[in-house]
Amino acid sequence: MPNPSPRSHLYRLGGLLVIGLIGFLAVKALATPSSWNHEDWYRGDSPKEIAALPLSYGGNESCQGCHKKTHDQVEAFGHKGLSCESCHGAVVDHAGDGKKIADAKVDMESNWQCMNCHEDQITKPKFFPTFKPTKTHEDVDADMLCSTCHEAHNPGL
Amino acid sequence: MEKQKWNLEPDSRREFLANLVSGAATATVLMVVGPGASADHGVGGHSKKHRDLVYVINVNNCIGCGNCVRACKRENSVPSEYFRTWVERYVITKKGIYVDSPKGAIEGFKKINAAIRSESQLARTIPKMCNHCDNSPCIQVCPVGATYRTDDGFVLVDHEHCVGCAYCVQACPYGARFINPEKKKADKCTWCYHRVKAGKLPACVTVCPNKARMFGNLHDPDSEVAKVFKEDRWMTLRPEMHTHPYCFYVGLPREVR
Amino acid sequence: MELPHDALVNYIFPNNAHVVWSLMIVIYPFITGLIAGAFVVSALSHVMKIKAFDSIANFALIAAFSFGCFAGMPLLVHLGQPQRALEIYFTPHLTSPMSLFGYVYGSYMVLLTIEIWLIYRPHFIRMANQTTGLAGLIWKTLTLGVTTYHPDSAKVDHKMIGILAGLGIPWAFLLHGYVGFVFGSVKAISWWATALQPIIFLSSAVVSGMAMLLVMYSVIKRLRREPIDCGMLRTFATILWAAFILDLGLEVLELIHAHFQQSHEWSDIQPLLMGPLFESYAFGQMGVLSIGPILLLGVVAVLEVRDRTVVVLSNIGAFLLIFQVLVMRFNVVIGGQLISKSGRGFVEFHWEFFGKEGMLTAMVILTAPFVVYYIISRFIPIFEDPAARPEAPAPADGAVEPAPVRQATP
Repeated sequence: MPNPSPRSHLYRLGGLLVIGLIGFLAVKALATPSSWNHEDWYRGDSPKEIAALPLSYGGNESCQGCHKKTHDQVEAFGHKGLSCESCHGAVVDHAGDGKKIADAKVDMESNWQCMNCHEDQITKPKFFPTFKPTKTHEDVDADMLCSTCHEAHNPGL
Repeated sequence: MEKQKWNLEPDSRREFLANLVSGAATATVLMVVGPGASADHGVGGHSKKHRDLVYVINVNNCIGCGNCVRACKRENSVPSEYFRTWVERYVITKKGIYVDSPKGAIEGFKKINAAIRSESQLARTIPKMCNHCDNSPCIQVCPVGATYRTDDGFVLVDHEHCVGCAYCVQACPYGARFINPEKKKADKCTWCYHRVKAGKLPACVTVCPNKARMFGNLHDPDSEVAKVFKEDRWMTLRPEMHTHPYCFYVGLPREVR
Repeated sequence: MELPHDALVNYIFPNNAHVVWSLMIVIYPFITGLIAGAFVVSALSHVMKIKAFDSIANFALIAAFSFGCFAGMPLLVHLGQPQRALEIYFTPHLTSPMSLFGYVYGSYMVLLTIEIWLIYRPHFIRMANQTTGLAGLIWKTLTLGVTTYHPDSAKVDHKMIGILAGLGIPWAFLLHGYVGFVFGSVKAISWWATALQPIIFLSSAVVSGMAMLLVMYSVIKRLRREPIDCGMLRTFATILWAAFILDLGLEVLELIHAHFQQSHEWSDIQPLLMGPLFESYAFGQMGVLSIGPILLLGVVAVLEVRDRTVVVLSNIGAFLLIFQVLVMRFNVVIGGQLISKSGRGFVEFHWEFFGKEGMLTAMVILTAPFVVYYIISRFIPIFEDPAARPEAPAPADGAVEPAPVRQATP
C-alpha cells in the first residue's frame, strides 16, 4: 500500500488516542453516580441512605407507653434520669409493633449489672456512689446479691 | 464561645493560601480529569460551613461502665474486635503512664492491680470516638470521595462507594477508623446520623448513666453542651494535629492522646 | 523494650490491632520504583545522550514496561473492594495524593507503550510483511496498518522518541514521587510525615531500578552466552554508586534531622528504631545492605580492577541494593504503622505466607514482571537495534518501496 507521509502512523496513533479519550470520558460520565455532589465531592444519595438505617435504641420515651408506672417510679428516686436501656438493653430486642418480643429482664443472678457502675475503682468520679465495705455494708457477704436489700428502680433503702 | 471562632470563620489569609495550593494542584490535573474535579473544597476536608452540632465528653462524669460501647455495638452492628467508640483508662503515676482499654471496655473495667493503684496520682476513664473534625485528614485523603462531611457537620463513610484502601485509617490521628472485616470497607462512628435525623440522641449518649456524654446544639443557649463553652475549660484531643475536632472534652488529663 | 511517651504498659488503640497496609503496600512502591529507575536508564541514553547506555536503552524500556504491567496489581489485591478500583478514574478526589495514581499511572503506561511502539515499529513492519495468518494479523495490527517503513519516518520517530523520553522523566518521577507523598503527607504517623519522603522514595527508586537492570543484564547475557559489555557495566556501576550515595545521604539526613530536632516525632521514632525496627533498619537497611554496596561498587568505580572483578562486584553490590530498597520500603510502610496512634505502644506485625496479602502473593507479583519480560523477549529483539535491519540488509522486503512513490507525488 502506498504510504504518502512519513507521519501517517502517528496520525493513526493520534486518532486512536482521541477515540480512546472520548471513550474514556463517556465511560467516566456514565460511571459517575448521578447524585454526585460536585461541590463537596461525594455521592449525594449517601447521607439519605445512612439516615434510613434502622434504630435499635428508642430512648425512655419508647418505654413509657407500656411501663409508665415503672418509669415514673425511677424518675422519683436515685436512678432518676437514667436510661431504661442502659440496663435493659435495646428496645428493639424487647418490643416491636407495640408487642413484646422477648424479656428485657436484667441478670439478677449476679451483681454484675450493679457493680458495672458502682464498683469502687480509682477512676470513679468523687461523688459517684460506689459500693464500699464500710458501715452499712459491714455485714454483707461476698456472695450476697445487691437486690437482697436494694430495688434497682428505687435503689435507696 | 470565643474560642470557637477559628472554627466557624477560617482566617482569610490562610484560606487564600490553601486555595492557592489546591488550585495549583487541581489545575495541573484538571485537563485530564475533567471539570468536575474543580470542586471548591480547599485543601482537605476543611469545612467552610456553619456548624451547630457538637459532642461534649465530660471526663469528670465518666464512670467507665462501658454502656456506651455496648450500645454502639448493638445500634451499629460493629464487628466484635473493632470499635466505633471505646473507653480508655488512664492512671497517671510518678513512674509513668498506665493506659488500658480491655476489649474497648465493652465489659467495663475490672479493678486495677494493687501496684498501679498505690502509685496512682490521677485516674480517669476517657471515652473515645470519631471527632467529626472540621479539618478532617480522612476526608482529605480519601481518593474517591467516599468519605465526606454533611451540611450539618457529620463526617460519614459512603459504603456504596468506599474502595477499602484504608488510607483514611492511616490518616486519622485518633485511631477512630478501621476496616470493617465483614464489609471490607472503612468504618467509624457516625454520631448516629440515622438517630439524630430521626430526632433521637446518639445511642452512646442515650445510655450514658452519668451525663459523661452529651450531644446538642452549640448555639442553643438552653442546651447542655452550650454551657460548656461559657467557661474556658474544654479541650480537644491532640490539638497539635490541627484537625479542629467537634468532640470537646471537659476535664481531659493532659497526658491523654 | 522501651515504650514511648512514658508508657508503663504496651497500649495500642483497640482499632490498631492489625497492620492495615501490609506486604502489598510494601511491594507496590518497590515495583513503581523499579519502573522509574529503569526508565531513567533509558532516558540517560535517549535524553542525556550517554553513549555507554545506547546498547541497553531498549532493554531498560522493556524492563520498565514489564514492571509497569504489575504496578497496580498489589493495590488491587490490597483493596477491600477491588471491583470498585476504577472509581479512582471516575471520581478522583484531588485533595488526596492517592487520587492521582489512576491518571498518572495510566498516562505513564500509555507514554511508555507509545515510546516502545515507535522504537519497535520497524520490527513490527518487518514481521507483518513476513508472516501470514493470525500472527500476521496481530503484527499488522501492531503497525496500525502502516506496513511500509517510510525512510523519513526514522527521523520523525527518533525525534518523537526523544520527546517522549524527555517527557517520561518528569512523569516517571511524578509516578514515584507521588507514592512518597502518599506517605510523607500523613501527619498522624511521625515516621512518615516528612517533606523528604518523596525525594527519598525517588532516589531509592532510581537506585533500585538501576540495580535491578544491572543484575538482569548480567544474568540475561550469561544465559544467552553473550559477552558482557564491561566498559558499560563499569560506567553503570559508577552511576549506581553515586546515586546510592545520594539516596543514603538523604535517608541519613532524615534521621539526623529528626534526632537533632528532639521533637515530638523523635519521641515516637526513637523507640521504634531501637525497638521493633532495630534489626531491619539499623542492621539491614542502614547496615549491611548499605555499607556492603558502597564498598563493593566503590571498588568498581574508583579502583582499576579486572573485567571479571567488575562483573562480580557490581552484581553483588547491585543485588544487595535491590534488597536495601525493598527493606527500606518495608521499614517505612510497616514501620510507620507499628507505632500505635495511641503513642504508647507498638503494634505487632504478623508475617503471613498463604494469606491474601501474604508472602506467596507478594512473590508471585514480584516474579510476574520477569515472566512478561521473557514473553516479550520471545517476540521482539531486545538487545539488537530494531531500526537497523529493515533499511540496510533487507531491501527486498518492500521497505524502500515507498521512496519512488513519494518522489512521484509532488
